Amino acid sequence: MTPRLAVEGIGLAFGGVAALRGVGMAVAPGEIRGIIGPNGAGKTTLLNVICGIIPPGEGRVLLDGQDITGLSPSRIAARGVRRTFQTTALFRGLTVLENVATGLHTETRAGLLDGVLGSRRLREEEREAAERARQALDFVGMAACADRPAHALSFGQQRLVEIARALVAEPRVVLMDEPAVGLSLNRLADIDRLLRRIRDERGVTLLLIEHVIRLVMEVSDSITVLGSGAVIAEGPPAAVREDPAVVAAYLGTAVHA
Amino acid sequence: MTVRPLWVGLAAALALAVLPLVANPYLLFVGNQLSIFVILAVGLNLLVGYCGQLAFAHAALFGIGAYGTALLKVHLGVPFAVSLPCGALLATAVGLAISLPALRLSGLYLSLATLAFAQFTLWVFLHWEPVTFGAGGFRVPAPSWPIPGVTAGIGTFYLALALAVLLTLAAASLVRSRLGRAMIAVRDGEVAAQALGVDLLRTKAMAFGLSAFYAGVAGGLQALMLGYVAPESFDLFHMALMKAMIVVGGLGSIAGSVVGAGAVLFLLEGLRAFKGAQEIAFGALLMGAVILAPRGLAGLLDRLPGWQERYLRAAPAERAPAAAVPREAPP
Repeated sequence: MTPRLAVEGIGLAFGGVAALRGVGMAVAPGEIRGIIGPNGAGKTTLLNVICGIIPPGEGRVLLDGQDITGLSPSRIAARGVRRTFQTTALFRGLTVLENVATGLHTETRAGLLDGVLGSRRLREEEREAAERARQALDFVGMAACADRPAHALSFGQQRLVEIARALVAEPRVVLMDEPAVGLSLNRLADIDRLLRRIRDERGVTLLLIEHVIRLVMEVSDSITVLGSGAVIAEGPPAAVREDPAVVAAYLGTAVHA
Repeated sequence: MTVRPLWVGLAAALALAVLPLVANPYLLFVGNQLSIFVILAVGLNLLVGYCGQLAFAHAALFGIGAYGTALLKVHLGVPFAVSLPCGALLATAVGLAISLPALRLSGLYLSLATLAFAQFTLWVFLHWEPVTFGAGGFRVPAPSWPIPGVTAGIGTFYLALALAVLLTLAAASLVRSRLGRAMIAVRDGEVAAQALGVDLLRTKAMAFGLSAFYAGVAGGLQALMLGYVAPESFDLFHMALMKAMIVVGGLGSIAGSVVGAGAVLFLLEGLRAFKGAQEIAFGALLMGAVILAPRGLAGLLDRLPGWQERYLRAAPAERAPAAAVPREAPP
């Protein structure tokens, strides 16, 4: 079966520093793939390469077998790869609902003339966008906050809205950069449940960078471990946990939760 | 009761529309200038306030609209009905052209590049004498309106008022569409906007082009109204005036642009007798706005129920009771 998302031989150097070295992995449709590794291992850089923010020096990124390397981030997003950010990145000037509706930019077609004239096409698209955005908010349990300004939400609430915004356009793949960071321990179970629902109810393939090892071990179908820009282990959580290379990578660096 | 900016704005336009019946020529001029300032401020706010591009070319594009409209008439005898749209399109084309290099720049670099362009434009106005008549400027023949009994001044007044209303409504509609949200997304976070499929270059180019079109229309109207075009009307002081309109009125607010244009015009005319005081007063106004009302007059108006701008064409859901809003557990 063609993997939903595959990266092959990704290499990237910033000046003389090799950030990624020959990284390869294949993620099956409907899989939750955890990506772990010590700080500076290249996890976020890998996500940036996949979604086109940083073009790789070498290697390919394949989405359902199609080469998407070198496409602009907006093109890649239009093909159904969405992401959330390590520090939340909601648009401050928009309400929660408007933020989520922005996720439908590639799904809507109204042009400049529609915009200035308030055409029927625009009004219909807008109504549908509002409807879909409300559903996405409902999915993450944030429907009650739809009309509040985005900046008025707590950090944890912003995280959930960002997830809704990434999901609203029915993407094939969502890349999540530390969804649990800053959340209290008693909310980890909620995140765990939400991630499974995203896969099961929406059929989304998830790539998950996470430092909260308990969460990532619980929820992931398999795990890729990065160390110094290269893949040092890959496999089911239980196997990865015992892998001597992983243990060395973690114990060899500073203390890590 | 809710107070909608649309109704307040239309009421103000209606009040302006009866002004020629009662006003003296000076008040008529001020009313005409208000329409032109509103077009300028709304156009500049689309680029700076909504799309977040701190460009300094608006006065120059205003000038290109004025020179384009007037010179086509003076040199080639093109009637205003054609030369005004041509002047506006010329400004749009130039705005799009400068946006191409400008799109690769951001922040301070964008400001500097557009400032350099503005100074270059001014230099052309001053020194391309065979075409632009140099520093002294030139007279523009008065337009004639095909309606009996309508003088040149009255006709221009109503044309400017009609265009100000239409262009303001168009902008207010545009910001409540996917393209308006895209502009705000680019302003509030370029990387996140791209990750949602918003094309940065396209969105910024649209904002530059639109903003230049508004400036060009305003320029053409200015040439018609004054019957005279000279380079000093398009210099840095006028750029600062336009910035003051949107900062005092409120960045990222259409209603704010209109109110800000009015406030600046009021101050400008109030201080007409004290030339030296104008610039000091504007400095004070800008500083006062930045310190006391960072969101401008729009920030105060937003407290009125129903006033706040929305960027999605859907009625907000019934206000949920406070208890229904999930709260974070205290840390």
